[in-house]
Amino acid sequence: MEGEAERCPLGVFTCQLCALTAPYSYVGQKPPDTHSVILLEESYIMKDPFTSDKDRFLVLGSKCSLCSRLVCVGPECSLFYSKRFCLPCVQENMDAFPQEIRQDLEKRKTPSKRPASQPGSRT
Amino acid sequence: MPPPRTKEGGDPRGRHWDPGEEEAPEKWDWNCPETRRLFEDAFFRDEDYIRQGSEECQKFWAFFERLQRFQSLKATSKREKDPVCRKHSVPALADLPRTYDPRYRINLSVLGPDTRGSRGLGRQPPERVAEFRRALLHYLDFGQKQAFGRLAKLQQGRAGLPIAQYGNRILQTLKGHQVVVVAGDTGCGKSTQVPQYLLAAGFSHVACTQPRRIACISLAKRVSFESLSQYGSQVGYQIRFESTRTAATKIVFLTVGLLLRQIQREPSLPQYQVLIVDEVHERHLHNDFLLGVLRRLLPKRPDLKVILMSATINISLFSSYFGGAPVVQVPGRLFPITVVYQPQEAEPAASKSGRLDPRPFLRVLEAIDGKYPPEERGDVLVFLSGMAEISSVLEAAQTYAGRTQRWVVLPLHSTLSVADQDKVFDVAPPGVRKCILSTNIAETSVTIDGIRFVVDSGKVKEMGYDPQAKLQRLQEFWISQASAEQRKGRAGRTGPGVCFRLYAESDYDAFAPYPVPEIRRVALDALVLQMKSMNVGDPRTFPFIEPPPPASLETAILYLRDQGALDSSEALTPIGSLLAQLPVDVVIGKMLILGSMFHLAEPVLTIAAALSVQSPFTRSAQSHPECATARRPLESDQGDPFTLFNVFNAWVQVKSERSRNSRKWCRQRGIEEHRLYEMANLRRQFKELLEDHGLLARAQAATPGDSYRRLQERRERRALYHLKRQHEEGGGRRRKVLRLQEDLDGGSSDEDRGPGDSVDIQDVKFQLRHSLDQLQAATSSAQDLTRDQMALLKLVLGRGLYPQLAVPDPFNSSRKDSDQMFHTQSQQGTVLHPTCIFASSPEALHTQERKAGAGQASRDDKDKMSSKHQLLAFVSLLETNKPYLVNCVRVPALQSLLLFSRSLDTNGDCSRLVADGWLELQLAESESAVRLLAASVRLRAHWESALDRQLAREAQRRWPEVDQEEEAAPVDHKEVADLSRDLLQFAASKVPYSLRRLTGLEVQNLYVGPQTITTAPSLPGLFGSSPLSPHPTKGGYAVTDFLTYNCLASDTDLYSDCLRTFWTCPHCGLHMPLTPLERMAHENTCPEAPQDSPPGKNVGPLPKVSALQRPYHCEVCGEDFLFTPTDVLRHRGRHL
Repeated sequence: MEGEAERCPLGVFTCQLCALTAPYSYVGQKPPDTHSVILLEESYIMKDPFTSDKDRFLVLGSKCSLCSRLVCVGPECSLFYSKRFCLPCVQENMDAFPQEIRQDLEKRKTPSKRPASQPGSRT
Repeated sequence: MPPPRTKEGGDPRGRHWDPGEEEAPEKWDWNCPETRRLFEDAFFRDEDYIRQGSEECQKFWAFFERLQRFQSLKATSKREKDPVCRKHSVPALADLPRTYDPRYRINLSVLGPDTRGSRGLGRQPPERVAEFRRALLHYLDFGQKQAFGRLAKLQQGRAGLPIAQYGNRILQTLKGHQVVVVAGDTGCGKSTQVPQYLLAAGFSHVACTQPRRIACISLAKRVSFESLSQYGSQVGYQIRFESTRTAATKIVFLTVGLLLRQIQREPSLPQYQVLIVDEVHERHLHNDFLLGVLRRLLPKRPDLKVILMSATINISLFSSYFGGAPVVQVPGRLFPITVVYQPQEAEPAASKSGRLDPRPFLRVLEAIDGKYPPEERGDVLVFLSGMAEISSVLEAAQTYAGRTQRWVVLPLHSTLSVADQDKVFDVAPPGVRKCILSTNIAETSVTIDGIRFVVDSGKVKEMGYDPQAKLQRLQEFWISQASAEQRKGRAGRTGPGVCFRLYAESDYDAFAPYPVPEIRRVALDALVLQMKSMNVGDPRTFPFIEPPPPASLETAILYLRDQGALDSSEALTPIGSLLAQLPVDVVIGKMLILGSMFHLAEPVLTIAAALSVQSPFTRSAQSHPECATARRPLESDQGDPFTLFNVFNAWVQVKSERSRNSRKWCRQRGIEEHRLYEMANLRRQFKELLEDHGLLARAQAATPGDSYRRLQERRERRALYHLKRQHEEGGGRRRKVLRLQEDLDGGSSDEDRGPGDSVDIQDVKFQLRHSLDQLQAATSSAQDLTRDQMALLKLVLGRGLYPQLAVPDPFNSSRKDSDQMFHTQSQQGTVLHPTCIFASSPEALHTQERKAGAGQASRDDKDKMSSKHQLLAFVSLLETNKPYLVNCVRVPALQSLLLFSRSLDTNGDCSRLVADGWLELQLAESESAVRLLAASVRLRAHWESALDRQLAREAQRRWPEVDQEEEAAPVDHKEVADLSRDLLQFAASKVPYSLRRLTGLEVQNLYVGPQTITTAPSLPGLFGSSPLSPHPTKGGYAVTDFLTYNCLASDTDLYSDCLRTFWTCPHCGLHMPLTPLERMAHENTCPEAPQDSPPGKNVGPLPKVSALQRPYHCEVCGEDFLFTPTDVLRHRGRHL
């Protein structure tokens, strides 16, 4: 176990909207150790922490193509429609987006909150 | 970057997915394995994101099928309206695709075979290729969303913990202070979050101690998961047998005991920047000691930071102990809990039977059924004091559950099998509640979710310790207020709860505020030994946070001196320093050392390991006779250690025959296999320790001869590692749904059920850790121990266990099997544990086999002359409702007492012996008595010196100037062989004698007391060369440090030592009237006599004295004589 996550942490990614933080190990469009997948935006990437597979990556976020804020890919913070847009920018320019996206955002306004369930544990 | 251009990319209608518009003449079938393989060949190659044949690949196809179903639904519903999109003025928005397509929402792209110029798919319809590619894209996007969702949820969970708002404050406080106390109740997240805050703040050498091993593992797992390094080694754990720590590890969770050992090696603890000591409020022995060690260390390591983590109990104690360390207090996350006091009316019938009355507990269950509708979920946790109480409530509650069909009742205590313990985490079916009957294990160690009701009996059984009797006593106490609150809190973890207290509020007010710290409750032998080996100075003045009772300390020091671990100045002896490194009881450590000396290492390793873990026998044998029957062939009539020895060996045998299932084998015999795994681990650790200390020749690395074999072995190991990893990734056991009421086992988790359980992960780990071949070689050699080896082994056990001896009650042979009674020096009327071999076959202990139909004449062994008297050497004495002897082995009484007693007193002709002031031996012939006594003096000296030299040489070896690898076994092989032979000969001696425990009155009047005559009688060579000196208190003469001659007060044998008969020495032909004693003395020193033992280096050659007479100066009459010893006695008698 050589531990990929700690191999080359370039820095800590922090979403400027929701304050999600995670260490990233690559920024760009061509994730390391992956040959067949390319990204359509300059992304902050970490090794997927939920699998032991070394060449699995996880896109954390990227810059909003309008305001250049660094945002995470979480649906509460940004969306991708051929480019990355943070939700505040989408809200401001709603009319620029197709109806499907507008509908999606409408739905999202009533967020469903689920409590984080934790498995029984011995401490 | 625009999406890679593919033909169908611009087609907004996705019409190729519409099955209604099927263009191909022949039916296209995605389910055709041929087709799938073609696509897999092209897209899922080794260098691709998904690999052919992987689990991922299967998942993809499942996703693909779902997607197709979804797409076909969507395609038929709404697809007609073209979205209107005006060209936007903002450039970034201007080039958005005009028409919507879901794939524009995906931020990645797959390089396909066409862009890579691959082969194979050329003949496939391009729209099918596109369809596949599109699905793949969605699949990857789905995977990203899923993983990111987990990440976000994880962070939300962390941010939602009460402690999250205190992270910065803790770090800030730590900047300004060396010690910080973090106080927070269960559920505030301190154990998982504080290490992560430190990590985020840039600390990279963090140790976090836990009182329990299991917590180390689960916390390391949780923290590595939360800190996103689940598959890295940033977070690790280190416990006795396992470590995941690597050079990259930044946080390590370890047990307190292990940290103390690290301090022992490197007192300044240079490998850590920050030390977190968790659960300090539990006041475990080692934790208290660690705090003291740290307090001394801190001034020497000003850069070391310490965080003490505690529940909100007695915080000021810890703060002030570290000079007013700042406290960061974190509120817990608890929902409101209603407390209902339901005091029991004065217990009537229940107390008489000794069993707990289950009715008050049933009433609570009834009340819950009456008040809360079954669809409102919420389980019940009942706190009871012990296993007996649990089983009596279990019985009643199960009857109730059977009637109502609304309950699943489960016990929870530490002696349950691991699988049974895990059942409490399973969920009850809808409309049914779980009722968990638990000891205080669920108070802090085990957290079960979903508890809404707590029933608190207010009682706890704790191990008390009587330092005088060295007796562990399991006693029932009222709990402390702190425990009561802790128990209550368990009801409010997932929602508002109710706590039923089966005692009055006034009782609660009378409870002690805190539980008694362990240091005030247990034997301190091991602690004192560790303190000595860590050079922390006199344990009496060590600055404990709360000092232990002085009596316990004194008892421990005395005990260690008795055991030879400390010398008279209380400094560590060689044997003591070795014992300090063995993580076991002193007695078991001694066995290991002694055993390795006599080349009995293999069996002793197994026995020592077996005696150091909990009994592997489950209680099922009591209820299942077939279990007991299956177990019978493994039982040894020598005693429990040998039964355990047989069990372990047989188990290894089963394991090495790969076709057999050891798990099943264990279950059939009512054996908890987990304990056997522990034994194997412990055994290996012992072995390594003995090797490290040169007491055991290091086994050559058993390299299989040919390369083929090596290759095969490596392959096997790799396969095992793979299995282990798979298991770990699978997350281990999943929660199951409990079944309602069936048999009394009432549970869900049958180990053998389900295909997922086909891998026995314990077995996998076992095989990775141990060389089964080696283990089998060792055990099979031990299985057929010769009679001599067995006898020697018993001597080793006996010497190790001494003075833990019990004498059978003289009336045992007329008692029922189960009523056999035994007496120890301090405790009368102890009984045997039901699993003990002597409880089921007590005749093994009787001096002669009962003859069928024999008369009443010799119904008891009282005062009976026999050469077969036996004593029980036991590992521990445990008092629950009765005092029990635990793990007994039978040893020959006379020989054991002569060889091991710290004090042996004799009468004039040595026919009457008293061992350690409580057991009296009456020998038929004084001649044989003297002979045995003399032999024992000689043997003890030899044994002692051989052991000393071995340990001393070992001490030298540890600081070698030159590499002394060449050196052979530490003590001369022949010497050990001779000693073994002599010991065996001694043990086999058959001399009739009677054995009895002295009464209290007899003990008081045992000795003649100090005498006025100070010059020693001379019995040259009778007991070796030691000069005799009058014993200051007992009277008589001290021959060695354990033997006092002629100090027993007696009225019967006044003249027995004066009776002379004519005797001819077979060696030198001397012919004269002699007393038995004189005769012995002559025999021992006769110049013509053959030397029956080689002179040991330290013992020195026995002085050759040919005459019995010695010069004697009488203090009373002032005259000088040439007297034989008996002359002296006679002369002395005249002055009385």
